[in-house]
Amino acid sequence: MLPLNPIVVILHKEPQETKARRYQRILEEHLGLQSLVFEDISYESSLEDCPLDEDEDAFQGLGEEDEEIDQFNDDTFGSGAVDDDWQEAHERLAELEEKLPAAVNEQTGNGERDEMDLLGDHEENLAERLSKMVIENELEDPAIMTAVQTRPVLQPQPGSLNSSIWDGSEVLRRIRGPLLAQEMPAVSVLEYALPQRTPQAPEDDRDLSERALPRRSTSPVIGSPPVRAVPIGTPPKQMAVPSFNQQILCPKPVHVRPPMPPRYPAPYGERMSPNQLCSVPNSSLLGHPFPPSVPPVLSPLQRAQLLGGAQLQPGRMSPSQFARVPGFVGSPLAAAMNPKLLQGRVGQMLPPAPGFRAFFSAPPPATPPPPQQHPPGPGPHLQNLRSQAPMFRPDTTHLHPQHRRLLHQRQQQNRNQHRNLNGAGDRGSHRSSHHDHLRKDPYANLMLQREKDWVSKIQMMQLQSTDPYLDDFYYQNYFEKLEKLSAAEEVQGDGPKKERTKLITPQVAKLEHTYKPVQFEGSLGKLTVSSVNNPRKMIDAVVTSRSEDDETKEKQVRDKRRKTLVIIEKTYSLLLDVEDYERRYLLSLEEERPALMEERKHKICSMYDNLRGKLPGQERPSDDHFVQIMCIRKGKRMVARILPFLSTEQAADILMTTARSLPFLIKKDAQDEVLPCLLSPFSLLVYHLPSVTVTSLLQQLMNLPQSAAAPAPSNPHLTAVLQNKFGLSLLLVVLSRGEDLQSSDPAAESTQNNQWTEVMFTATQELLRIPQAALAKPLSIPTNLVSLFSRYVDRQKLNLLETKLQLVQGIR
Amino acid sequence: MNYMPGTASLIEDIDKKHLVLLRDGRTLIGFLRSIDQFANLVLHQTVERIHVGKKYGDIPRGIFVVRGENVVLLGEIDLEKESDTPLQQVSIEEILEEQRVEQQTRLEAEKLKVQALKDREKEVQTEEVRGSQS
Repeated sequence: MLPLNPIVVILHKEPQETKARRYQRILEEHLGLQSLVFEDISYESSLEDCPLDEDEDAFQGLGEEDEEIDQFNDDTFGSGAVDDDWQEAHERLAELEEKLPAAVNEQTGNGERDEMDLLGDHEENLAERLSKMVIENELEDPAIMTAVQTRPVLQPQPGSLNSSIWDGSEVLRRIRGPLLAQEMPAVSVLEYALPQRTPQAPEDDRDLSERALPRRSTSPVIGSPPVRAVPIGTPPKQMAVPSFNQQILCPKPVHVRPPMPPRYPAPYGERMSPNQLCSVPNSSLLGHPFPPSVPPVLSPLQRAQLLGGAQLQPGRMSPSQFARVPGFVGSPLAAAMNPKLLQGRVGQMLPPAPGFRAFFSAPPPATPPPPQQHPPGPGPHLQNLRSQAPMFRPDTTHLHPQHRRLLHQRQQQNRNQHRNLNGAGDRGSHRSSHHDHLRKDPYANLMLQREKDWVSKIQMMQLQSTDPYLDDFYYQNYFEKLEKLSAAEEVQGDGPKKERTKLITPQVAKLEHTYKPVQFEGSLGKLTVSSVNNPRKMIDAVVTSRSEDDETKEKQVRDKRRKTLVIIEKTYSLLLDVEDYERRYLLSLEEERPALMEERKHKICSMYDNLRGKLPGQERPSDDHFVQIMCIRKGKRMVARILPFLSTEQAADILMTTARSLPFLIKKDAQDEVLPCLLSPFSLLVYHLPSVTVTSLLQQLMNLPQSAAAPAPSNPHLTAVLQNKFGLSLLLVVLSRGEDLQSSDPAAESTQNNQWTEVMFTATQELLRIPQAALAKPLSIPTNLVSLFSRYVDRQKLNLLETKLQLVQGIR
Repeated sequence: MNYMPGTASLIEDIDKKHLVLLRDGRTLIGFLRSIDQFANLVLHQTVERIHVGKKYGDIPRGIFVVRGENVVLLGEIDLEKESDTPLQQVSIEEILEEQRVEQQTRLEAEKLKVQALKDREKEVQTEEVRGSQS
């Protein structure tokens, strides 16, 4: 299809052309350098589109050329062939080449290789020019930089270039596609390489040769770490400025899949790899994990200002800068106001940001422009954002108004530290030593800022959640508690609050996905295609209950225990739900609340039923069910948590049952020692009980006979109770309550009084009998016991009792 | 700046000296140069430190790339306090020797234990047999 030898054509066309001119033309023809001036070309190029009119029949054009071919042209056979100083000509051409502007980016022809072969002895020169072009193209994407690093581009080295040249052309071919759309950076290798050297000059202690990577003889694999043109750790030529107008560093908005931020400025630092400077916004290199960054140029003044601002460490500054901005939205809001409202507003603030870096909440420290100017600055643009913000439900934001203040203060501190860097304060000196380390460490910042950001971005993505309270319960609760504490402190004192920056996790909208299994057209019925969303049942497990006769006693016991465990688990779930209702109230709408209340009540009832044994009869026939639950450690803790939710009656019932079976429970608790956890809810309950209940409770506790008959010589029940910490404490609490009732209401019903008095007498007798050594140490001793006992016993016995029960402070 | 406050992120630890304990029991000390989302680590100027009793020895290892799942724990080393240790540094040969000795004693103790258990097992068996017979 190319019947002609284009070289021959050229030569024929202008036999008087000089060698230099010929080379130029060859370049134009074969490599499509449009920057070269096209002179009067009347024949069509066979390789690319010609600027001439294309109506001409290609074949006709070719035919014309045919006729024009002079098989025995001058250059090959005539005077041109004699001319031997091709080197000279080449050098001249080389100069010409350098003058060419760097805006070259045309697709190279497939026949490029062949063409070069055909050039024969001009091959090396052409190839070198090619390699230069490869260098320039490489600037667009650092990942494909080849071994052409800092070698001097001005010297032609005919022999040694071959390997890298061919590699270069390979790379060129490979990147043909992506390059089409890209702009050439304005900086060429020459400009680029030179200024880097000057900043390095003062750092003589660094041995550059140590840091330089070995030259690669093979082209790099796409996706491997970028080959650096300048050794790692070189301070950057330019500093990137964060463009405040555009960027707010916040987590991604409310999409299920957060879109990649198209661009965000590289954070500046004292060291930035030049790679960051090289990469352009749309790096189309497949598989390149790092988002590209754009380096706007800062004036030295700006740079100094920025560096002088709140700066924790070199290379780590800008995210904090960015994170400042969103905070202004939160400023007008009061600390302890309706979280929903706050969430709503702030939530709207957060999403649209293209960046991904506000790892902490609202932070607005003053930046280089003096602090007074700052508030109006971001304000308007924040409002812009708000207007742009997509509507999303005011749900669990983790932004609390505190944090903006916290962070502000933190930034202040950091700024102060930075000012005091050379001396004052512990933290300042610590920072300075750290800075020193970084300065002296030649291997610092091997991990680029953007790489760090990339990793944090991944980590942040992992934290996305539709319902943080569900997914990350402990974290949320912990921070809430902290805030409540600091809020309480704030109310009390005006001292500076402790700073606690908080992580803002990206919010994801809750989308309901209902999975519809795949249906094929024309198939009979539904094909069962098993997938992750639609798992197929593999094993048909059927529960068969064995007949009761076969089981041995042990198995029965074990089964009963297992049933109890299951009941505990179910009741626990109910308990967690009930405890969560408070939070749900706050989040729910007005209409929903009665329904929530109903649910809650219902659940509480079920809990109680579970505890006592669900029997429809009026009486609770046996305590057994409850006792079984109480034998298990988790059961006891659960009862302690349930008690506050029960009504007084129900709780009293529970308490009585406990008192009745207390020795048994004490025995079972010997290993766990969890009973004391029940003391606090029981005490609270007791202080609400009426007198009658208290009396009977005391009777139960001490296992005193109902009648006034002579007590048994020994009272193992009471002994057990008294020997146990929980038992004794409970007893004392009950006594104390009784005393309260007595003293507060002397005109109470006489029957009650009488009962109480009787019981008390018996009680004191029993107490007097018990040897002191057997007594446990109670958790707490109510203060009014002395007055209690003084009613019923004489002085001597009172003293005894006091000593025994250690009622008087100071005996211990 | 504060990357991800309130979380355990390694970004703040980059370029600092760390002590890393691996699952196979090795202790590595080096500068943490790079991480990724799996907590794979790149350690620079790494030294493997062997501890035996009150002595320790350092073997310089160069650059380590550790797969994240093999790390038990890691922590930053305070450079100022680093030299503040009651432990005594010895040469590599010495520490390796000590380690070998320790290993040996442990193996022997293990053997004795196993033997004792076996003996007891036999005792029990013979008792059972005797018991069933009588």
